[in-house]
Amino acid sequence: MTGGARPAPAVERGKRSWTLWRRLLLTAAFLLLIVNPLVNYHLGITFVQGWYQSLGIGELRITSPLEGLESLLVTRQVAVPTLIGMLVPLAVALLLGRVFCSWVCPISLLAELVAVVRRAVTRRKAVRDRLVLARRLLWFTLIAELLLSLVLGAPLFVFLSPPGLVGREIMMFVFFGTLATEGVLVLLVLALELVTRRFYCRSFCPLGALLALVGTVRRLKVRRQAAECIGCGRCDRACPLGLAPSLDESLTAYCWNCGACIDSCDHGALHFYWRTTLNAGRPGAEPGNPL
Amino acid sequence: MKRRSVLRLLGVMAVAPLLAGANEAGAGLFASPLTTNRLRPPGAVDEERFAGTCIRCGRCVESCPYRCIRLLDIRHGVHAGTPLIAVERIPCYLCMKCVEVCPTGALARVRQADTRMGVARINRFTCAAWAGVALCRTCYDICPFKGRAIVLDQLLPVVVAEVCTGCGLCTHACPVTVEEGARAINIEPPAAGGTSS
Repeated sequence: MTGGARPAPAVERGKRSWTLWRRLLLTAAFLLLIVNPLVNYHLGITFVQGWYQSLGIGELRITSPLEGLESLLVTRQVAVPTLIGMLVPLAVALLLGRVFCSWVCPISLLAELVAVVRRAVTRRKAVRDRLVLARRLLWFTLIAELLLSLVLGAPLFVFLSPPGLVGREIMMFVFFGTLATEGVLVLLVLALELVTRRFYCRSFCPLGALLALVGTVRRLKVRRQAAECIGCGRCDRACPLGLAPSLDESLTAYCWNCGACIDSCDHGALHFYWRTTLNAGRPGAEPGNPL
Repeated sequence: MKRRSVLRLLGVMAVAPLLAGANEAGAGLFASPLTTNRLRPPGAVDEERFAGTCIRCGRCVESCPYRCIRLLDIRHGVHAGTPLIAVERIPCYLCMKCVEVCPTGALARVRQADTRMGVARINRFTCAAWAGVALCRTCYDICPFKGRAIVLDQLLPVVVAEVCTGCGLCTHACPVTVEEGARAINIEPPAAGGTSS
């Protein structure tokens, strides 16, 4: 999205690199899903196990919060290891917002790959979102998913979660040489990507909804400096979720802190901002440019 | 107009499986996958609660050194992604690695001897020893609780249900194949509607 042909103006922006870092992390997170089962299976090294539904690193078992919540609601029983496992992702969401979705989730990487392929095929840089639904649908999805799980008496997201399915399919392929049928859900999600960027993530991911809900009080936010902003609207077009940072929508619960808008801004008007009264120079806040 | 049609399509896609589930065929949507020789890993909570407790993270599968645990897929309805052991293919050696890694307690910590994955049952018509075909005591010899879970009564093997862990080593070892997946000694899951011979 950075590809303006004209040379960038000489505002000391210093970095256009959030997207680069994000893609690196997304790739690393995806490679983990591939390398990990291989290492588990062929080398017998089991220090790290699992994928983003439950990732075991040694004795620490990180558990996806929505899966844990579903299990807790359906069984009405508190499992202490689950609660402990949910702490890490919840703490991350509490501080950084919905960053799992944009910086780690394998669906995010696959969606970006779809975008790359699509760009190579159609040779068009601009992508139009053909179907934009109300953002509030995200909360409805979360509630509906939990209600449906309670009504059916069985958690649904645990076996239908697209990010979870990516990990499970890779594991099953490595271990048994087979794929599970429900993996078509991943393909469906990626197909919807052709309709609208992150169509699934925007409105239909209950996990994203839960993380966004927790992330409403997040410390890390993308903030616009009105003095620098010329209202060109580049950030609005860059946002994969269809938010408008130029209207300060990056401060809402829906923003997932991917930094695409920051990188798109030629005038250094957008920055990650760490909300704290004590020290404004914490990671995230740009040096010399807090707020 | 276009938006509406897409929304309708999405709605149909969301509701169709539910309607299918309401059909009689969809009774299988909630049916437990447990039957003869199809068992949960050690320490599993009650089957009624298992689908709710297990988060389908697959770590038991990854940790099983014998590769006996496999994951079910969507054909098993709400039990998709839950672990299952087919003991006649690969039995459980009660190493308890899966129990250690389970993050939700769907597989609760349990001692080897207290494991109750099921109970072995000998089919006295097909068992070589009971039918008088041969002096077979394979199941007795292979049983990890030899002399306690399977005892010999006048050279004939007898299962002691109170001690049997249901690990399936006997089923795996049994030389008599009765039919597809069934041997002369089979494991019946606890309180399941498995068909017994």
